[in-house]
Amino acid sequence: MTRLNTNQWLALILALLAVAYIAMAWQIPTFPLPRPVDSDLFPKVLGFSLLILSGFLFFEKPTPIAGADDIDQEAQQGPLLLTPWARIIVTSLAIAAYAFLLVPIGFVLASTLLCVGLTAYYGYRRHTVNLATSLGVVLALYLTMTRVMDVYLPTGVLPF
Amino acid sequence: MDAFNNLMYGFGIALEPMNIAYVFAGVFAGTIIGMLPGLGPISALALMIPITFSMEPSSGLILMAGVYYGAIFGGSTSSILLNAPGVAGTVATSFDGYPMAKKGLAGKALAIAAYSSFVGGTVSVIFLMLVAPLLSKVAVSFGPSEYFALMVLGLTAVVSLSDKSLVKGLIAAVVGVIISIVGIDMQTGTERFTFGSIQLLDGIDFLVVALGIFALAEVFYMLLRGGGGKEAPRNAIGSLKLTRSEVKEIAGPVGRSSVLGFFTGVLPGAGATIGSFLGYSMEKRIAKDGHTFGQGNIKGVAAPEAANNAACTGSFVPLLTLGVPGSGTTAVLLGALLVMGVNPGPMMLEQRPDVFWGVVASMYIGNIFLLALNLPLIPYIAKILDMPRPLLLSLILIFCMIGVYGMSFSVFDLLLLLGFGLVGLGMRLFGFPAAPLILALILGNIMEESMRRALQISGGDWTTFIDKPISLGLLLVALLSLGLPLLKKRRKKSAAA
Repeated sequence: MTRLNTNQWLALILALLAVAYIAMAWQIPTFPLPRPVDSDLFPKVLGFSLLILSGFLFFEKPTPIAGADDIDQEAQQGPLLLTPWARIIVTSLAIAAYAFLLVPIGFVLASTLLCVGLTAYYGYRRHTVNLATSLGVVLALYLTMTRVMDVYLPTGVLPF
Repeated sequence: MDAFNNLMYGFGIALEPMNIAYVFAGVFAGTIIGMLPGLGPISALALMIPITFSMEPSSGLILMAGVYYGAIFGGSTSSILLNAPGVAGTVATSFDGYPMAKKGLAGKALAIAAYSSFVGGTVSVIFLMLVAPLLSKVAVSFGPSEYFALMVLGLTAVVSLSDKSLVKGLIAAVVGVIISIVGIDMQTGTERFTFGSIQLLDGIDFLVVALGIFALAEVFYMLLRGGGGKEAPRNAIGSLKLTRSEVKEIAGPVGRSSVLGFFTGVLPGAGATIGSFLGYSMEKRIAKDGHTFGQGNIKGVAAPEAANNAACTGSFVPLLTLGVPGSGTTAVLLGALLVMGVNPGPMMLEQRPDVFWGVVASMYIGNIFLLALNLPLIPYIAKILDMPRPLLLSLILIFCMIGVYGMSFSVFDLLLLLGFGLVGLGMRLFGFPAAPLILALILGNIMEESMRRALQISGGDWTTFIDKPISLGLLLVALLSLGLPLLKKRRKKSAAA
């Protein structure tokens, strides 16, 4: 069997998603009063459009994509935690942790921790500058939002 | 002559010392707020409403109009420097503005944005003054079928920009519409694709998707390319000066996009965003070096910048002469005017000429302030590029977070932001263009609403879209915009063979 190319893999995934979407569109309840167009029509049109386009994609020849070829080759040979994909995973986990910690510990602490931590992880070694800049920007943002613009941000463990 | 006399009367109001101060404060605050991803003109205007409570209606609107076009201008700065457009109307600016910044031409890109915005704003104020009543009549004749056709055209125009693959562009557009219809259907109250989640009842906000797909995905992409430990290049701002040939080069795009942007802004629902995308796609199509768009072509910055500011002013036509808000931003403005006791509509010109002509005149002054304020500040603003790359990446993350959280106060939206960031990275790696997705997300709801309304009126008869000459014409142009790139490709292939 011939191996599938990138476009064919993508087309198959999109087609599966389209089928699932169409199935969900069929479950949208109908409005009690009869009307020419109900809530399910547009989603069904979209689902079928996606399915047809997946078909087109399956038969499209893949072209070289700049984005995929730009991955840092040097770093891929380095320590596991610093490889390009590890950076993405660690950053994603840090963002998720930030989302859950934001309310309990407050905007200033959570944001400073995230900023200082990730900057150090990305390889910046001047820790005092890192801490001062991160704290300064976070505090400036916090005070502008809360004092000038009246936008509430969680205070968390800090008293202000 | 009448228009001239009215304008002089307007200047009498706009040039009062307090009103000059309000224009200045408005454009300054707008620029700063627009620069922060997440705090676009809507949030900026909403924040201004309490301040305008005690003001004269003309002063209040002068301040708010300044905030509006200031925010659109500020949005272009973050688009160019960080590829993080906080304002939908400046997404198209980032296509060439950010590549220019990466090449060390950030100063030039910002200067082009400033000049183009100034020209776009000024040209459209002249149009607003001269032809507002006439244009509002044209706009009001648009029915749901025409709107639907217009939305389709807006989308296909952007999809046709996807050089690599039209199919991928169309897939991105369909996915954008799919995201836009999540939540409660406004016509029947039915829940769609919420998966039982309360957070999704209101739908997915444009900002979450835009910041995820553009800014967060950019951070991820830089990390993949090893942007972590490496320092940003020094003196990356470059010169602000434009050469004579560059001015010549952008003169045409700026002129054309100013007019196009204004007319787009007049049509309710089609504001700065569609205006800027249309301006961009028009220039890309007609330019001899169209293939270099997306790689840092100066015309790719000039056109959308002129168009979005022109559209911004154009959107005041239906608001002031019909009382119909053409966008979310003008809807907030309408609310503010009603709070101040002014009822915009056909009678406004007669009943409150001070408000109408005062605002028109203040826009001339505001545009001059924007230019005078921003050009000297550009080198300081662009210093952001001198920051060590790891610190800059972390700070962009914080800006994204505060933008999303400050708007929705929802942890769920922060997780959505992360999800869209990863989706954006995937799109980038596999060659799916992000612009059609974002535009489709913005247009999706209006598109569905117009389509359903047209079908309700016609009793479910689909020929309603081709029965009316305007909608038929728009749909044909849409078809053509998709067909032309395919034909071009085929011709190139056969020529090569």
